[in-house]
Amino acid sequence: MSSVLIKNESRLGLKLVAPAVGIIGLLVIYPILFNLYLSFFDVQLNGNKTFVGLDNYTQLLGNPRYYHSVGVSVIYLIGTVIGTTVLGLAAAILMNQTFRFRNLARGLILLPYFAPVISVVFGWQFIFDPVNGIYNHVVVDVLNLTNERENLIGNPDSALFVVILFDIWKHFPIAYLLFLAKLQSVPKDLYEAAAIDGQNPWGRFWHVTLPELKFVIATVVLLRVIWNLNRFEDVYLLAPNVETLPIFTYYQAFAGIVDQGAAAAISVIQLLVLVGLIWLYVRKVLKW
Amino acid sequence: MSSVILRNVNKSYGNLPIVKNLNLDVKDGEFVVLVGPSGCGKSTTLRMVAGLEDITQGDIQIGNKTINDLPPHKRNIAMVFQNYALYPHMSVRENIVFGLKKSGADADTIKNKLADVSEMLKLNEYLDRKPADLSGGQRQRVAMGRALARDADVYLFDEPLSNLDAKLRHHMRTEIARIQHQYNMTAIYVTHDQIEAMTLGDRVVVMRDGIVEQVGTPMDIYLQPTNTFVATFIGSPAMNLIEAKIEGEELVFDNYRLPATKIANVDMHSLRAHDSVLVGIRPDFFEDSTLSSPSDNLFEFNNIEVNLVENLGFDKEILFKLGGEDAKARLDLRSHVKRQEHISLSVDLNRVLLFDTSTQGMLLNAGEV
Repeated sequence: MSSVLIKNESRLGLKLVAPAVGIIGLLVIYPILFNLYLSFFDVQLNGNKTFVGLDNYTQLLGNPRYYHSVGVSVIYLIGTVIGTTVLGLAAAILMNQTFRFRNLARGLILLPYFAPVISVVFGWQFIFDPVNGIYNHVVVDVLNLTNERENLIGNPDSALFVVILFDIWKHFPIAYLLFLAKLQSVPKDLYEAAAIDGQNPWGRFWHVTLPELKFVIATVVLLRVIWNLNRFEDVYLLAPNVETLPIFTYYQAFAGIVDQGAAAAISVIQLLVLVGLIWLYVRKVLKW
Repeated sequence: MSSVILRNVNKSYGNLPIVKNLNLDVKDGEFVVLVGPSGCGKSTTLRMVAGLEDITQGDIQIGNKTINDLPPHKRNIAMVFQNYALYPHMSVRENIVFGLKKSGADADTIKNKLADVSEMLKLNEYLDRKPADLSGGQRQRVAMGRALARDADVYLFDEPLSNLDAKLRHHMRTEIARIQHQYNMTAIYVTHDQIEAMTLGDRVVVMRDGIVEQVGTPMDIYLQPTNTFVATFIGSPAMNLIEAKIEGEELVFDNYRLPATKIANVDMHSLRAHDSVLVGIRPDFFEDSTLSSPSDNLFEFNNIEVNLVENLGFDKEILFKLGGEDAKARLDLRSHVKRQEHISLSVDLNRVLLFDTSTQGMLLNAGEV
């Protein structure tokens, strides 16, 4: 290509990405920078700001509630990421076998992912309702496992596990979908070659399926970490007493003693941690 | 090493039969080639031996043990796949020793086998590469190496050379033949390429539509094909088949009258029962009459018009009409025929075959009746 053509091509490229760059700048970069700016101020509801330097950060790092929410977030992340990945993988392998009504089953599995959060959250709250819920009915009345009806969602410690379970149930279909797509593209003769080489079904899973899925699994884990570190609505709607980082930030910013400066500081730390995690992960695990 | 026996083996998908009542004995250390057009059931047969397809009916034995219900990983076989099926995440080294390791070989054996195989297939400098970083020919060699490293009872080859370019294919064909003799492997090799079948097989099995048409040594099949299908499928260019009327003791087409009595061992009595017959002449058996030494068993086709000459270097292929059909002859470089020339071609009548016009089967020679 002549240099004129190359120049024209790159000009066209710039024009094509300009709208996207503009929108991202306005909706993502600007808020981040503004957030960073706010984190150095004491912000009043009427908009008055007083510069306080690193005060927000020092206060935050001395606040035990902050560390508690970090701990809750870590448990939430580990539980949901492992849960969705394992359940998604199991479902994908199952749905990759041939059986009657397979296409129907493949579709049905996606339902939790399609369902609006607000409606299924109420369903889950009914399930665990201490008086009328089916959970307590089955555990106490039918199976007689305990004598006491428990308010699983009301107690923040057990609510954390309900929230994790809810997230696994609601979000494993996306992992399943990605795994299934990759499974279908694994050449059949690789399995045949492994069988000829003496591998039983478990050996074939270990030596063919897992290596072939490696990058999809890594991608799913990455996406789940990003999504769930920032996940707000599922947790807040189902059990607002489970204080993950986003919930804690929300309480700081908009509830009780409104402290938007402190909330901004939490977000900044959270963003830095997330960026650091992703960088490490992409370099070390995905090796991009 | 072990023998392989297939007894009345049938395979069908639903009502569609793929392999029909196949019987085959592969002796210990024998190289048997299954050849036929696509869809003839040759690959399915191989995959049944491997255990990758189940057997609808019949028995398959490896080393006198019936293995019908044994899954592939318990059959102790090695196989080379058409698309190689190398493990993409493993290096060449890991690919080669993968099956060997699984079979419980000790570290020394693995090391020696790896050295042997990589030396033999010239893979030494690629051992640390991944399959994605290899050319097609190199991948093919790794696939061969993976099979050869195994101490298997039977080695199976499923069109292993069909993805290679012509030159590489020829080279690998020679290599496979050499390795098979060196290791005295029991091998079943599937191909649609009749040259591979001829050059590699101790015995060749010609299949069509799920049926074995003929089993024999390559030369048996070349010289004594049981029917017109085998006759035209094996040998390149294909055998010329010309319909001839039987008049007394002569076979007549165009202006030519071939003396049937001079055709090797022909049984005149059974020939007289027919009105017509298919005369089969391989292009290789024609000679330029100006160059052939006189013999009373030669028949001369004179006044042949050359329609086309294809020069192949040492050989040339001549296209002309015989009995109203396109016919081919292969002459060598001593002949200087040109397009549109009129020439004479000679044929040794001992090399001429006769086929039944209706059954397409070869008319039995008197000597074999």
